[in-house]
Parts: sequence; structure tokens; C-alpha cells
Amino acid sequence: MGTSDTSFRKLRFRKTYIALPAALVLFACSAAAQDGSAPANGFWLWTLLGRFHPAMVHFPVGLLYLALIFEVVARRRRSIQYAGSVRLTVGIAAVSAIASVVLGLMLANSGDYSEEGLQVHQWTGIATMVLAVITAILYFKNLRHYAFLLLIVSTLGVTISGHFGSELTHGEDYLTSALPGNNEQPDLAGETTYSFASLKGPLTEPQIQELNLQVRSIFAHNCYSCHGQAKQKGDLRLDSKQAIFKGGKNGSILIPGNPAKSELVRRLHLPRSDKEAMPSKGKSLTANEIAIIEFWIKQGAPWSAAPEKSLFKIAPMAPRLPSLPPATAGIQNPVDRFVNAYFNKNDIKWEKPVDDRLFLRRAYLDVIGLLPPADTVDAFVNDKSADKRTALVYKLLSRNHDYAQHWLSFWNDALRNDYTGTGYITGGRFDITSWLYNSLSGNKPYNIFVKELISPDSSSAGFVKGIQWRGTINSSQSTEMQAAQNVSQVFLGLNLKCASCHDSFVSDWKLDDAYAFANLFSDSALEVHRCDKPTGKMAGRRMLFKELGTIDANADRKERLNQLAQIMIQPSDGRLYRTLVNRIWAQVFGRGLIEPVDVMDNNPWNQDLLDWLAYDFVQSGYDLKKLLATMLTSKAYQLPSVALKEPGMLTDAGFKFRGMVRKRLTAEQFSDAVSESLHPVYPDSLIVFNLLPGTVKLNIPFARAALMKNDPFQTALGRPNRETVSTSRSSQANLLQALEVTNGTVFNETMKKAASEWIKKYPKPEVLVKEVYRNALGRLPDNSEESVALKALNPKPTESAVQDFLWAIAMHPEFQLIY
Amino acid sequence: MMKANWNRREFIKKSSAATMAALAAGAPIASLLPGCGRGKSINSTADTVILLWMGGGMAHTETFDPKKYTAFTKGMEANSVLSTFPSLPTKIDGVHFSEGLQKIGDIMDRGTLIKSYQAADMGHILHSRHQYHWHTCYEPPQTVAAPHIGSWIAKELGPKNKVIPAFIDIGQRFTVGEAEELKAFHTAGFLGNEFGPFLIPDPSQGLETVRPPIGMDSKRFERRNQLYNDLISESAIGEFGSDYQKESLRRSMEQSYMLLNSPEAKAFDLSLEPKESYDIYNTGRFGLGCLLAKRLTQQGARFISVTTEYEPFMGFDTHENGHTRMAGMKKLIDAPIAQLVKDLEKSGHLDRTIIILASEFSRDMMVEGKPEKKVLEQVDQPDIINELKFYGMHRHFTDAASILMFGGGIRKGFVYGETADERPCKTIKDPVRIDQIHQTIYHALGIPEDTQYEVEKRPFYTTPDGKGQVIKEILAAGKV
Repeated sequence: MGTSDTSFRKLRFRKTYIALPAALVLFACSAAAQDGSAPANGFWLWTLLGRFHPAMVHFPVGLLYLALIFEVVARRRRSIQYAGSVRLTVGIAAVSAIASVVLGLMLANSGDYSEEGLQVHQWTGIATMVLAVITAILYFKNLRHYAFLLLIVSTLGVTISGHFGSELTHGEDYLTSALPGNNEQPDLAGETTYSFASLKGPLTEPQIQELNLQVRSIFAHNCYSCHGQAKQKGDLRLDSKQAIFKGGKNGSILIPGNPAKSELVRRLHLPRSDKEAMPSKGKSLTANEIAIIEFWIKQGAPWSAAPEKSLFKIAPMAPRLPSLPPATAGIQNPVDRFVNAYFNKNDIKWEKPVDDRLFLRRAYLDVIGLLPPADTVDAFVNDKSADKRTALVYKLLSRNHDYAQHWLSFWNDALRNDYTGTGYITGGRFDITSWLYNSLSGNKPYNIFVKELISPDSSSAGFVKGIQWRGTINSSQSTEMQAAQNVSQVFLGLNLKCASCHDSFVSDWKLDDAYAFANLFSDSALEVHRCDKPTGKMAGRRMLFKELGTIDANADRKERLNQLAQIMIQPSDGRLYRTLVNRIWAQVFGRGLIEPVDVMDNNPWNQDLLDWLAYDFVQSGYDLKKLLATMLTSKAYQLPSVALKEPGMLTDAGFKFRGMVRKRLTAEQFSDAVSESLHPVYPDSLIVFNLLPGTVKLNIPFARAALMKNDPFQTALGRPNRETVSTSRSSQANLLQALEVTNGTVFNETMKKAASEWIKKYPKPEVLVKEVYRNALGRLPDNSEESVALKALNPKPTESAVQDFLWAIAMHPEFQLIY
Repeated sequence: MMKANWNRREFIKKSSAATMAALAAGAPIASLLPGCGRGKSINSTADTVILLWMGGGMAHTETFDPKKYTAFTKGMEANSVLSTFPSLPTKIDGVHFSEGLQKIGDIMDRGTLIKSYQAADMGHILHSRHQYHWHTCYEPPQTVAAPHIGSWIAKELGPKNKVIPAFIDIGQRFTVGEAEELKAFHTAGFLGNEFGPFLIPDPSQGLETVRPPIGMDSKRFERRNQLYNDLISESAIGEFGSDYQKESLRRSMEQSYMLLNSPEAKAFDLSLEPKESYDIYNTGRFGLGCLLAKRLTQQGARFISVTTEYEPFMGFDTHENGHTRMAGMKKLIDAPIAQLVKDLEKSGHLDRTIIILASEFSRDMMVEGKPEKKVLEQVDQPDIINELKFYGMHRHFTDAASILMFGGGIRKGFVYGETADERPCKTIKDPVRIDQIHQTIYHALGIPEDTQYEVEKRPFYTTPDGKGQVIKEILAAGKV
């Protein structure tokens, strides 16, 4: 093969090969240039011709590929019988490429295309044309091998150029939007298809509702992004009855009963290349979808008088007991049985459990927020009993005060309870610290816990009382509305903040719902305000989820709240208990079964597990500690921690569970770890004893950070200011934190005092290094670590050298993270 | 239509490219909130903002917008007093400042005076709530924690010089009355702690915040950092793989080390300032704050706030003795502000730095709130003044307040808005609202008007609903 080749350099192009296409292209350019500045008024013929570009381009595309196929087949079969076909095909391809370019240039000047996208398409197109022409010449010259190479390049060129062209027509995200994970639509309901073809006669009410839902669902999926809350292209919105019938800039979009004359339908039927075609980007509607819309308009575009069926996914309310997957060897714990089924389904293997030391540290920090003391680590590692991990979990859970002092921070964040803050100065805020502490240390059943917060006595009233700001405030921030928002967020994983100003755009909650709920907390009846403007309408009084029960609107506040509490804590309120188990799961496993933890209408990564845990939680007497025990004694809890490269992956919808997601010590855990293993960060005198039950005094190992007022050190490490509910903390470090621990007074002073104590206690550097590692990291240093440390301390350790060593250990990722 | 689409995509492309570059350069990963709505990219005229905060309510009629002067006499009628100082001409023809502000008057050819800032109506006047509103552009309380303007800027633009924190707050202590209310807006809110203020309550102690801990020389500081790095690299922690927590921890520790060890940190050291210059600035903590702001701007700061400090009934919060205390406040601010503008001009930084002087509202002797919307009076003002302590602007006036702006593309020698010459000295032309001020600053910085993040499924914009309008008139010609 290849013996008859002539060197490429020897080629001479005959002028005529080039002259014709060049002339055509120049002609097109000049024609275009004439009206370049005013494309809209271009000569009609150029505009008309230009519109043939999208049709013409299919010739070079198809033909070049065809030629390539011929050529490949010919080469495989070592046959020359295709030679003529290839030559002819490439020839036509080249000619059609020239035509495409000429028409394309015309179109470019009449169309409203983006500058950069167009440039790329234009020049790749012209390059492809040139390549195709050269390829054709080479074929006609019988230089088959060079021709073949160039054919490949041309085909590539036409692919690339075609891609950019399609982006111009269909939008840049045309391809990528179809990739998995690139669908940014909210979870929507109404996915089921419904056949209307068979329907005869007038529609029944349920049929109208269903049809209407289908239509709104089509709009939501395909049109809201440009014709909704975020954007109103052409002054048109399609996200409400009123807006749809109002139409847009160009008038009404539909004539009820007459789809054929409806603008909406006309636009949907236009070819994609038409500028008026809708959707102008994204995928076209399917024939079935268009048919549904037409059918709906034909029926008179009906809108049921009954409440609209939801577009948004709403999690089922009822509790559910999924059957436990079978137990197998070593997979007994209910959590593990669900996780095992999940792993099987997702082709994930069980990794080896973490070693004793890591497990111990995890369990200590998760249950009581403290580091395991060095001797405990040794004893635990040397303990030979088979069930020592389970025993440890129960032992830790029984440490009531330590447990309370750890979980206090989580609940303070969620219930926005703090020891200082806005509102206290004027008696506009009440703390619930003592109640909360006792509830935690006594492991109050969660149903009672919730009941006492919603229908409180004076000790727990602070939560629904909210913060009374001085002066005039936005009506969406009245204390009653705060109560409505906070109760629904914290207990029901539900966002009522939108709906407390106007009907929500992202859920079905209406302004009336929010006010009716808020009104339960109010002594006097509330007037509904829309976006802070009074509407003249008085709010009703009802629970958000009517199916849970009704509340006597005429009862006094105390009685109403009592009824509300009873309704909310009944076992049939599956939402309350799913929300709770999901929050606890997120604390233990670093990521909820559902994320974000405040959006319980999102899909969990394992519905059965969530449902089972919530069901079991109710059956087991609403026992938080038992729930923790179930989780912490599972094999799943013992899996190696999973490292995420970015914090955004935490809430990713495609999340796959493989084990606990790595956590960072919270502000309080970090301070306590330092206090415990190196030197107390805070003196006892800073504890807010006056807010805590008296028993605390006798039950503090040291001044734990959770019992302190917030300070710049805690703030820098991520303790929120608790003006608003806060249900998760960032575990990402940042510069302000780093500065606080690098040269901040609080930490520097602590390290200084720590050094002076340590050096007194362990004058010998070898011992000191070992003891620091044992206390802080629960292990001995390995040889290389030891030598680095000793080098810094030797020959005779000074106080400052020890201080720096202690600091470096406290900054160590192994100290700051939970692996 | 397509063009607009393309621009939006292009912007996102660019910004994600910038994100990648920032990541490669070791910058902290911005908290990954879904951000959207970059309507169009705009050319910036400024990189840095210095906010000079007149905490406590600075009377416009006693400072930058004086009215008819009535000298103190026993038995004078309170309602007849519009200004308690005579007026003196400034560099702008026909514009007068109240006596005691001549130095600022002399540099007014470099900036714009806005006479017509109107504060919000929030009922019973409270400083901290109006300050919250001024600094976040949102009226408190909010259901989500609203970010301070400095945090927005830090989030959108990042630090200008990698080792200087993007948002520096000078002069406000949080040990004063209403401290909790002050903390409520000195925060990055939902943007995350990373973009929160770097606090320097006392500018003369600025160095302490950015140098190795007291008692640690630079050699030891270096050794300590080395030990830290060595202990990590010798540990088996690498076996756990890479996670964002560890990476962000190491990155921020590295940044902090760089900052504390960098030559730029010297900018925080006011003792390095030549005595002559130091003395001009040294009118008190505020003056030294201006000096620190100057030094930091010259080293590449992004957003700096310098405050006269808000403390109830102190500073500009004059509930009595308004005249006497105002004279003192003028001494505090006049020289350092004028010097700051001149120094930054001299060093070539003023062109890209916006200096803005503002207060949460103004004061008047008679009117509390707005003339049409009076609110509960908090100060007793006798109709007939017999004592000097009743001579001054003691009530909280929200209908007109003065704002000064210099540099960074702001029009020079210009006055915007007008106020009445008789009581009530309210805004009568071109009223300005806080969202316009914010949007104008964002505009000058090249931050798109509809910058927003989705918080709990709701868009949260730099200005409420993204509706703040740029005040084009106060931008230098051709910069719109």
C-alpha cells in the first residue's frame, strides 16, 4: 500500500478549484456587509436564502460521514470498488459545504446571534469547507491516503462546527443539560402520564384537576425558567392562572376552546429554527405534551375551583413501617439491614470497620462531645470482649450530664436559644436554657419535648415567644410569624418563610396558610399582610396540615397551643418524627438521609431506612438515646469515614451513602478537646450558672464551651449568633478562624498556660511528646513524628518550645477532624 | 434575546474560570451557595471601598448641609434654631459647610456631596436598627441572616491582596451598650464566616491582630509553623485521603501564616508612619483608624470600615449638649478625612478607591422621624432654650442626611439632592435611599446589579429584590 503516493508538497492547485468557492464566499460576505449595521432591515432575499442554511448544512454533515464510512469499509475490505462513490460523495459534500457557508454568512447577518458563539461557528464552518474542498481535490487527484487523512479531519471539523451551530440554535446547554445531574428542576410531582384521548363528554371535576395539573406540570418543566418568578421574557408568566390568562407583551396567549387560534399552540408547533418557536431553548415539547395543552385549551382551558393539585413534591405524611430486609451473618442491626440492601442495589461493598481507637474517638465525640481520656483508649483497645463497642455506646449514653452538655449546643442552635443576644436588653426575649438542659439530661421523650416547646410553661416559653424587636417591624417578622416559621422549620423540616410574605413560589404554601398557622400563636386575631401591606382580610386559625386535625379557632391561646401540640405530636404526624431522625442521622453520619435537613420534601437516599427509623422511634417511646444507640451500634457507623472534596457534595442529589461523611469538630468540641487534653480554655467563672439548673455545678468535668456566652473565639470557630434558627454548621475552615487560633488572645493564653503545666509535669521531652500524643490524639507518636517533635524540644525543652509543640498538635487535622 | 442569554452564560463561564484560578492559587473555596443572576458584566471604576461611619446620627444641618445660623442666647426660641454653627465656603462654588469642617471643605473638588439621603421608616427610632439597615440594605429583623455590605464585597471580589483580609472593620468595640444589636449586622450572614469582618476595635492595636502572638519573635513564629507542617507530613493522615475540611484547614493556616509573616502586615503598624503624618491623623481613635485605612488601602485592602464608634448617647448620638459635642466631633473627623483623601490621591490610589462618609440618619432640634411621619419623641426639648445643653440637634431626623463620596469613579465637585432651607429641613429634590447607595457602590466595583444567592430556596439579592438603582448622576461622566 501507498507506493503510488506523491509528496504532498508537490501538489499544485489549479486556480479554478479555488476560485469558485472563494468568489461565492466573498459575494456572501459583501452582501452581508451591506446591511451589517442594520440586520433587521436586510434585503429580504438574503434573509430568505439565509434561512436555508440550517437545511443545507445537513448535506456536508451527512455526506462527509457517508464518505468516511465508505472509505473505512473499502479499506477494511481492501477493495477499490468504492473509490468512485467516495470521490463523488466528497465532491458533493464540498460543494454543499460551500453553499452552506455562503448561506450561513447571510443568516449570520440577519439573525440576532451572540457574537462569540457565532464567531466560533463561522470560522470552524469556513475551515471545514476549505478542508472539504481540499479533500475533494485530493480524491480527484487520486491521492487517496492524504485524502483519507483530510477526510477524517474534515469530518471532525464538520462535527465541531455543527455542534457550535446547534448551540446557537438550541442554546449552549443543549447537550449538557441532558446529562445526568444537570437537571436543576425542583422536585416536581405530576409525572404520571394520563391518557385524555379516550375521554368523552364534559370532564368531571377530578379530571379537570388532573388535566390542569398536567398542563401546569408541563409549563413548570419547560417554561418557568423564562416565564416564571425569576424571569418574565416577553412580560409573560406561566406560573399562575391569572398570569396565563393575562398573556404577555403581545397580548393573550390562548383562546379558550380554540387551540388552533391560540398563540401558545402556534409557537409550540413552529420549527426549532424559527425565532418565535417555544421553548426558545431547552428541549421541545413532546407531541404528547403539546396534545395535552391543545386538549386543555379545547376544553376551555379549565381551572378547577377546588384547591390546585400540587406541582411540588410533598413528602407523604403517614408513618410507614417498611419490612426489614433479611438479616445475614454479621448484619443484624436494622440500620445495617437497610444499608446492606442499599449497598447490594448500588453495588457498594462493605469496607472493613475502623479500628478501636478511631471508633472510640468517634463515639465519644458524637455522644458526649468529649475526647476519650488516654487511659480509656488503652483499656478499650486491650479489651478483648466481643461486644465492647456496643457496650461503650450504652455506657456513653448513660453519662447524662456529659450528654446534655454536648447536645445542648445542637439544640441551642436549632431553638435559637442563647445566653446573650438581641432582645434580652428590653425583655423581648426569654431563654429556655434550664428547661433544655433538664430535658436533655433526663432524656425527655421527644413528643413531650416538642409539646412543652409548642404549648409551654414559663420555663420553655422562649421558643415560641421569639424575639420581640423594638420599633416597627415587617409583618413577616412578628413574633407570631416567627413562631410559625420556627416551629415549621425545626419540627417539620418545612420552609414557611416565603409564604409568610406572599404565596410561595417554591412550594404550595400560601400566605393564608402561614397566617392561619401564625394566628394560632396570637392572642388577638392577625390581619393578613401581603409583602408587609395590610390586605384587610383577617387570618383564619388552622394547622398547616389539615389532615392532622383541627383546632378550635375560638379557644384561647393557651388552649389552641395545647391542641396544636397534641396534633403535632400524634404518631400519625410522620413528618415530625422523620424530621427528627433525619437531623440526628445528619449529626451522627455527617450528612442527612435527606439534605438539606430543613427541606423534608426532598427525596431521601433511602426512604425505607428513614421511614423505619421514624416508625421505630415512635414505637420505642420517642427515645432519643435509643435512636442514637440504634445508629451507633450499627456496622454502618463503623465504616471508614468518607472524604468529600467539596462541601457542595454534601447536599448533592446524587449522593451515595458509603459511610460517615468526615466531620470537623464544632467550636464547642474543639474548645473542649483542648480543655480536656491540653489545658482548660475557659475558667469556671465564665459558666452561665445563673441560667443553668443547680445540678450542673456538681457535674462539670471542666468549663465546657457550650456553657459559655458566645465570644469572638467561638464565633470564629463557627458558633452561630442564634438570632435565627440554625440547623447545621459549616465544617470548612477559613482565614478568620485560622487567625483567631494562630494569634488570638484566648487561644494563645491557653497554650501558654498549658506549656507551663506540661513542662512541670513532664520535664523529660521523650515522655512529654508521648503523653501529648496519647492525650490529644489517643495514640503514641510513630518514630518519625517523635523525632520531629524531639528536635523541636531538645536538648532541654523551654516553655516556649513546648507551647509551640502543643499548638501544632491542636492545629493538626487529626486533632480537628473526626475520622 | 439570545444575546442576553449568551452574556449570562459567558459571565458564569468567566466566573467559574475565576473560581478555578482562585482554587489553583490556593484561595479558600467560597461556600458553595447556588449563585445566579449575573445580568451583565460591567466595567469597574473602583477596587476598594472605605466606609467612614459617623455612628449615632450626624445632623446634616450641623455638618455638610448647614442652614441659617442662630447663635446661642438665653431665652431663645428652639424652633428658630436651624444650625448652631456659622457656615463657611468650600471648594465647590456656592456650597458651604458648617464651621469646623474646612479641611474637608477644601477637598470637595475631589468628590460628591449627597444632601438627600432618606432613612427608612421603622417606627420608634433605634440606632442599631437603622445601622443594620444601612449596612445590610435590609430592614431588621430578617428571616435569614443578612450580610454586611463588606461581606458581599468580600464574597464577590475576594481579597485584593491575598494576605490582607477582604473585610476589615476598624473602631467598633462590641463591649458597649447594644453590642448584640451591633453584632447582628457585623456579620457575613448566610454567606458564611469566611466573609465576615476582621475586627480591629482599636486601630493603634491593629498590629497585634496581624503579628505573631505577643512574646513570639518572627524566628520562633517561623519555627512553629515549620513544626506544624512537619508533624503533619510525618503523620499517617495522608492515608485518609483528601477532604475539604483538611484542605481548607491547611489552606487557611497557610494564609494566616503568610499574613502574619508578610511585609504587608507592616501596614498595620502605625508606629512606622512618619511622625508628621501620624500627628495629622491622630485626633483620636477615629483619626488613627483613617490612618490605618490609608496604609491598608495602599497595600491592597478590599473593604474597610472606619467608625467614630457607636455607643449609646456617645459620639454623634447627642441627646444633649449637641452644639458643644458636635464641635468636638468635628475636630475628630475633619483633619483625618481630608488627609486620607489627599494621601490616597497622592499615592495614586484614590482613582480606584471609593471613600464614603455616612451616618444612619440625621438630627434635628424639633422633628423626630420625618415631618409627615413623626414618631415617638425620645428627647425632651424645651420650646425656650435657657441652658446651653438644650442648644443642639437632639432628635432623630430621618428625612434628610448628608453623604460624602470621593474617588473610584465618583463625580468631582458635585452636589446631588436638595433640602429645605426652613424647618423641617427635609429632602426636597432627588431623594436617595439606601439601596441606591449600595447599588452605586456595587456598580462602581463591577458587581452586577442582580447578584443574588439562593437561600432556603429564595433569592437573596445584594439589594432587596435586586431593585436598587445606580445613581448615575454622581458617577463621573462616561463611567455609567
